[in-house]
Amino acid sequence: MGFRVGVDIGGTFTDFCVFDESTGALSTLKVLSRPDKPGAEIMTGLTKIAEAYDIEPSSVSYFTHGTTVGVNTVIQRKGVNLCLFTTENFEDVLEVARLRMPDPYDLFSARPEPLVTRDKVFGIKERILSDGSIDTPLELESVRTALTRVKEVGGDAIVVALMHAYRNPEHERYVAEIIRREAPEIKVILASDIWPVVREYERTITAVVAGYVQPQVAYYLSSLQTVLKEAGANVEPMITKSNGGVMTAERGKTDCAQMLLSGTASGVMGASRIAMQTKVPMAMSLDIGGTSADVAIINSGEPQFGTGELIGEFPIYIPSVSVSSIGEGGGSIAWIDEQGVLKVGPESAGSTPGPACYGKGGVNPTITDALVVLGYLGKSELGYSAVQIDSGLAHQAISKLASNLSLTADEVAEAVVRIAVSGMYLEISKLLSRQGLDPRDMSLIAFGGAGPMLAGWVASEFNMKNIIVPTVPGVLSAFGGLIADIKNDFIRTVYLDLTTASVDQIKQGFGTLAREAMSWIREDQGFEGEVLMVPSADMRYRGQSYEIDTQLEASWIESGSIDLMAKAFHELHEKIYEHSDTEAEVQLINLRMVISGKPPKPNFPSLEKPKKNLKAREHIQVYADRSLIKAGVFLRSDLGPGHEIDGPAVVLQQDCTTCILQGYNATVDEFGNLFIQRKDNL
Amino acid sequence: MKIDKITLEILKNHSRAAAESMAYTLYRTAHSTFVKETEDFTCGITTPDGETFASPVELGVTWFVGLNYKTVIEMIDEYEEGDICITNDPYSGHVSTHSPDMHCWKPVFFGGELVSFVVGHIHNTDVGGAVPASISRTLSEIHQEGIRIPPTKIVRRGEFNKEVLDIMLTNVRMPEQNWGDLKAQIAAMNTGERRVHEIINKFGVDVFKAGIQDLLSYAEAQARSIILDLPDGNYFFADYMDEDSEDGYPCRLALTLIISGDSITLDFTGSDPQIESSINIPTGGQERHALLMVGVIYILYSLDPKLFLNAGVCRAIGSILPEGTVINPAFPAAVGLRTLSVQRLMGLIFGAFVQAAPEKLPASPASGGPIMNVNTIDNRTGRRVVAAVGPITGGAGGSPLGDGTEGSGANSSFLKNTPVEINEIEVPIKIKRYGLAKDSGGAGKYRGGTAIEMWFEALAPNTRVTARNMDRTRFTSWGVQNGRAGAPSYFLLNPNTNAERNLGNLDFIKIGPGDVVHVASGGAGGWGNPLERDIDAVFQDVKRGFVSQKSALEDYGVVISNESYDLEATEKRRSELMNSSADNDFFDYGVGRVEYEKIWNKANYDTLTKILARIPIHWRFFIKHRIFEMVGNQETLDSGEKISTYFEGLLTEFPQLEETLRKETD
Repeated sequence: MGFRVGVDIGGTFTDFCVFDESTGALSTLKVLSRPDKPGAEIMTGLTKIAEAYDIEPSSVSYFTHGTTVGVNTVIQRKGVNLCLFTTENFEDVLEVARLRMPDPYDLFSARPEPLVTRDKVFGIKERILSDGSIDTPLELESVRTALTRVKEVGGDAIVVALMHAYRNPEHERYVAEIIRREAPEIKVILASDIWPVVREYERTITAVVAGYVQPQVAYYLSSLQTVLKEAGANVEPMITKSNGGVMTAERGKTDCAQMLLSGTASGVMGASRIAMQTKVPMAMSLDIGGTSADVAIINSGEPQFGTGELIGEFPIYIPSVSVSSIGEGGGSIAWIDEQGVLKVGPESAGSTPGPACYGKGGVNPTITDALVVLGYLGKSELGYSAVQIDSGLAHQAISKLASNLSLTADEVAEAVVRIAVSGMYLEISKLLSRQGLDPRDMSLIAFGGAGPMLAGWVASEFNMKNIIVPTVPGVLSAFGGLIADIKNDFIRTVYLDLTTASVDQIKQGFGTLAREAMSWIREDQGFEGEVLMVPSADMRYRGQSYEIDTQLEASWIESGSIDLMAKAFHELHEKIYEHSDTEAEVQLINLRMVISGKPPKPNFPSLEKPKKNLKAREHIQVYADRSLIKAGVFLRSDLGPGHEIDGPAVVLQQDCTTCILQGYNATVDEFGNLFIQRKDNL
Repeated sequence: MKIDKITLEILKNHSRAAAESMAYTLYRTAHSTFVKETEDFTCGITTPDGETFASPVELGVTWFVGLNYKTVIEMIDEYEEGDICITNDPYSGHVSTHSPDMHCWKPVFFGGELVSFVVGHIHNTDVGGAVPASISRTLSEIHQEGIRIPPTKIVRRGEFNKEVLDIMLTNVRMPEQNWGDLKAQIAAMNTGERRVHEIINKFGVDVFKAGIQDLLSYAEAQARSIILDLPDGNYFFADYMDEDSEDGYPCRLALTLIISGDSITLDFTGSDPQIESSINIPTGGQERHALLMVGVIYILYSLDPKLFLNAGVCRAIGSILPEGTVINPAFPAAVGLRTLSVQRLMGLIFGAFVQAAPEKLPASPASGGPIMNVNTIDNRTGRRVVAAVGPITGGAGGSPLGDGTEGSGANSSFLKNTPVEINEIEVPIKIKRYGLAKDSGGAGKYRGGTAIEMWFEALAPNTRVTARNMDRTRFTSWGVQNGRAGAPSYFLLNPNTNAERNLGNLDFIKIGPGDVVHVASGGAGGWGNPLERDIDAVFQDVKRGFVSQKSALEDYGVVISNESYDLEATEKRRSELMNSSADNDFFDYGVGRVEYEKIWNKANYDTLTKILARIPIHWRFFIKHRIFEMVGNQETLDSGEKISTYFEGLLTEFPQLEETLRKETD
C-alpha cells in the first residue's frame, strides 16, 4: 500500500492532494508557486508532506500533475522562435483568422498579434485538392528557399500546415523529411499530426500554439521527472490533459497541445466525481479564484466537451472539457462610474498586490474585502498562512466607496457582493441559455479559493436546487488528476454522405482509428488494463456549416447500420436545437474515437457517523439584509455525516472558507460533502 | 433616477441577461443556416412605448441597438396576453428596414398591466418577389422585393393566425425555412416574456417599471457625457457610392454634424435624391431611426466602451432628413440593398466625427466589400450548388492608437468567413489565393488595414457569380491628418491574361470552366503623415508583405535595399518628400474622388441640392441624370452658375415640369 499524490500548479499556489491507499483518507496542502524555478514547489511540497503526514516519497505509487506552464508561455509570449510553412498564396491564414473581431461594437477591436508574424510565414509551392488528389506536386526548391529564410530569421522550430493535408498528409511529411535531413537542429511540427481535421485556420492555429509552447513544456516536464527522481519517488508522473484524462509526462513532451488546459479541466473532473458520488443528475461547477470564475455543466456525472477553448487569446481545436471563464474573482475591484453607479470588475487586484486586506500594498476595494467587512472572512487564515487578513485595511478600502455613495461601509460591502454576483449571473445565464438549461434543476458544486465563499449568493440568484461543497474544495484540481482516466482522442475527416455507399469507408475509417488508439494506450502509455473505446462522428444536415458530435455504437459500425446512425443524429439535433428533419440528407464530416483506460482508482469509503454533536467553535456577527446577525463559526474537521448547520454560519478549513447564508441550512453526507439548501425548499 | 443606483446596476445585469437569453434561444433553435452563419438577427426588451432598454451584445447584428418599436406598436389596436405581432414591411412604421427582415413583438403583462414588450427580428433567406433571396440592386419598387406583411397579430392569445401564416408561406421560395425561423423567433419571444416575469418577481413591478426608464436615462447620461467632451461645432462631410444605377452617376451622401453641448444633430441636407435601385435607406423621416444611429453608436462606444447600449443613447441625437432623398425615400422606392448604403452612411458619420476628435478617432474603415455567391453545377455529383463563398472585407482605419486591423474590423467586425477548405469541398471552384492585398491599406503614421483578396477558378459552364454590395471601385476610403486613402476595390475576370476584363461595379457575371475571378475589397484609410511612420514599422510591413518596397520608398520615404533599411538615405528622402508636399488637407480622399470633385465640387452640389429640393420627388432622379449628362467631364470653376443655367434649359425642354412647379407656387 502506498500513497497517491495529485499536484496542480496555479499562478499563486501549488495544490497537493494526497490519497492514502491503506486508509482511504485524503490530505491536502498548499505551497506558494515558484514561477522563477519550476519544480522547486514540488520539492517543497513533498518535503512538507513528508513532515506533516509522515509520507516518504518512495512510498508514492502514483503521481498526477496539472500545470499552467503552456498557457503562461502563450500569455507571456515567451515561446520558441517559430516559423510557419503554408501552401503558397495562403500565407495570411493567421492574420485573417476567421475575420470576426472580439468586440464587434468597438471600432478599435483587434485580434492579438499572431504568435508567428507574417515575416516568418513562408509559402510552399504545392497544392492538394479537397479529395486528397495532388494538383501541384511539391516543389523541392521552394522548401529549400523557405528553409534558408527560416535560418535567416533564426527560427528554432517550424510548423507545417498545408491545404487539405488532413486528407492527404503526403506533402507535409515530405517537407518534414527535407527539413530533418537538411536542418536536423530545427524542430518540425506537422498540423496533420497534431489534429488532422478540416478547416485550415483552426488546424493551423492549433499546431502553432502547440509548436510555440513545446520546448518550454518539454523542458518543464523533464525537470519534473528529475525532481521526482531526486526526491526518491520512483514513478513516471502522469500529466492531466485538457480532455480531462491523463497521459505520461514523456508523451506530454510531444503532445503539449493536449495539456494546455490541464488545471481547469481536472477541476471539472474533480467536480464530476463529486456529482457522481452524490448522484446529482444536473450540476454546475463553479471554481472561483482571485481573478476569474470558471463554470462548467455536468450532466449525470459527465462533463461536456468542446473545441475552440482559448489559450490566452488564441483558440485551439482539440477536445477539451468545456469551461466558461468569467473575468470576476475574489480580487475584482469595486469602483464608481461617472454617473455615480457602483461597478465591480473587470479590473482585478490579482494575487499581487491582491485585495487590500492582504496587506501586500493593495488599496483598491475588492470582493474579498467586502466579505471581510461583512464579517464572513478574517476569522481564519487564508492560503495556509501565506496570507493574513487585516480587516482594518478592508474597512479602509470599502469606506472610500461608502463616503462617495453616502452609504455605510456595511451597506457598500453588501452592494459590492450583490453587484458582483449579478455580473456572474449575466455570464452564467448566457451559458445556460446557449444550451436551454434550467438552473432550478441544478446543483452548484463550489470549489476554488473563493467558490464556497460566494456560492450562496450565486445559487440564490439562480434559485438553484442546492450547493455542494466537496471535502477538499481548495485543491479540487489536484484531486481531479488523482481520479482521471488515461485518455486520448483520435480524429479523421471523411466528409461523406451518410448513405449505404459510404459504409465501407466508415468501417475502414473507424478501423484505422481503433488501431491507432490501441497502439497509443498499450505501446505508448504502457497501460495493460481494461480499455473503453467510444466511437462518435461529427454530423450535420447538408447545407449546415456546423456539426454535432454524435456518439455511435460499435455494433452499428460493424453492421453498417446507417439508419441507426442517422437516427442518433436526428435525436441529438432535436435535443439541442429543438427541431430535426428526418427527410434531410445527413453528412458525416469527422470520425472520432475516444479511448480511455482506468488506472486503479481511489476508493472512498463512507465515513463513520460522528459520536459527538456538532458545536460552533465561536460566534461572530455578520451583516446581512441591513442588520447584524449572530453566525456560528465551525471547523470543517469537526463535521461528520449527519451533522447540520443553520445559516448564517461560516465553515473554516485549511484550504478555504464556506459561507452559509441566512435562510440556508447545511447537512453533511456520508462522504463528508456539505449540502447547502434553502430552508423553505426543505 | 427613480430607483437607487445599486439596484439599477443589478437590474441592468438581469435585463442584459434576459436579452442575451432571448438571442441564444433564437440562435439555438433557428432552422436556416443563413441565420446561424451570419447571425443576422436581433432581440431586445422595450418599454411599453417601444424604446429598447436592453439588447444582447454577444450575438446578432450590431445595427439595431437604437431600434424603437413605437410606430408599429401603435398600429395594432389593442394587446392581450399571449399575442405576438409581426411585420416585415419597410413602409409600415419603418421598423423593418428591408423586406427579408421579419420583426416580431410581444406584449408582456404583469397583473393585467402591459409593462413591456419583447422584440426582435430575423433576416429570412427569401420572402418571395422578383429574385431569389428577394434582394437585387436592379429592383426599383418595394413591390418587387417580396411579400409585405403589415403589422399583424400572427399569434392571438396564444393561437396561431393560420390564415396570415398561409398567405406568407405561399409567397416565399423556401417556406419550411421561414416557418422554422419564425418558430425560433416565437421561442425567443416566449423566453423573453418569461425572463421579464422573473425580473419583476425579483425586483417588484414598481421597481421594474421605474428601473427600465432609469436604464434609458442612465445610457442617455453616459452618451451625453461622452458628447460633452467633444468640441462644439458644425462638421461637414460627404461621401459617395460609385453608382446610383447600373452604369449611372455617383450617389452622394452629405452630412453636417452639429455638436452643441451634450447634444448632436445630424443634418443630411445635400444628400442625393432617392434612386431607381434598391440602395435607398428607409428611415421614414424618423430623426432617431436605428439606421441613422448605428454610426453614432459606434463612435460613442469606441470613445468609451463602458457605454451601456440601449435606445437611451439616441435621446441625445436628432436628425434633419429631407424627404425624397436616398436617406428618406418616399414610397414605393426599393430598399433591399440598403446594407451597402448604410455602410457608406456609417462612414459618413465617422468622417464628420473625426473632424471633431482627430486625436481620438480612426480614419475610414474599408466599410464592407462584396459578399460573393456562386451558383453552378458540381461536376463531381451533377448537383446544383448555390452557396455563399464569403464576404470579401477590408481592414479598419489607422488611428492614434495604432494601425488598422488587417482584412476586417471596425464596422464589419461581426462578419465571419468560410474556410477555403470548406468552400472547396462544398462549392465546385478552386481557390487560387485567399489573403491580404499588398499596398491596399492607406499609408499613414498609423497605416490603414489591408483588404482581403480572393482568386478563384470556375470548373463548370454557366457558373453564375454574384458580388453583392460591390462598391468603392472609384470612391475609396479616406485618410486623415495627412494619412492616405485606402486602395479601391476591384473585380477582375481572367487577370494577367489577354482576356482580362475589369468588371468594375458589376455585381453579377456568368463565367465558364477555366475562367478566373479576382476580387478584392478596398483597403482602409491611414492616419497621420506616412513620413512620420516609425521606420522599423515600415520595414516590418515590407517584410510581412503588407507594403511593397516601392510604396515604402514613394509613400513612406523609407529606402530599403538588401533586406535592411538605409537610415541615412531614408532621412534624406523623407526631408525631400516633406518639403515637396504642399498638400496639408485634413482628408485624403484618393484619386477617384479628387478627380471627380474637380467637376462636381461643393458649390455645384449646393446648387444642385437647392434645385432638386424645389421639384417634385418623382422628377429628381431624372433631372439629376440630365444635369450630370450635360456637365459631362467639364471642370467647372464657377460656383454653381452653370448648373443653374442647365436647369433653366431643362425647364424649357420639359414644360411639364415647369407647369408642376408653377402650380406648386400658386
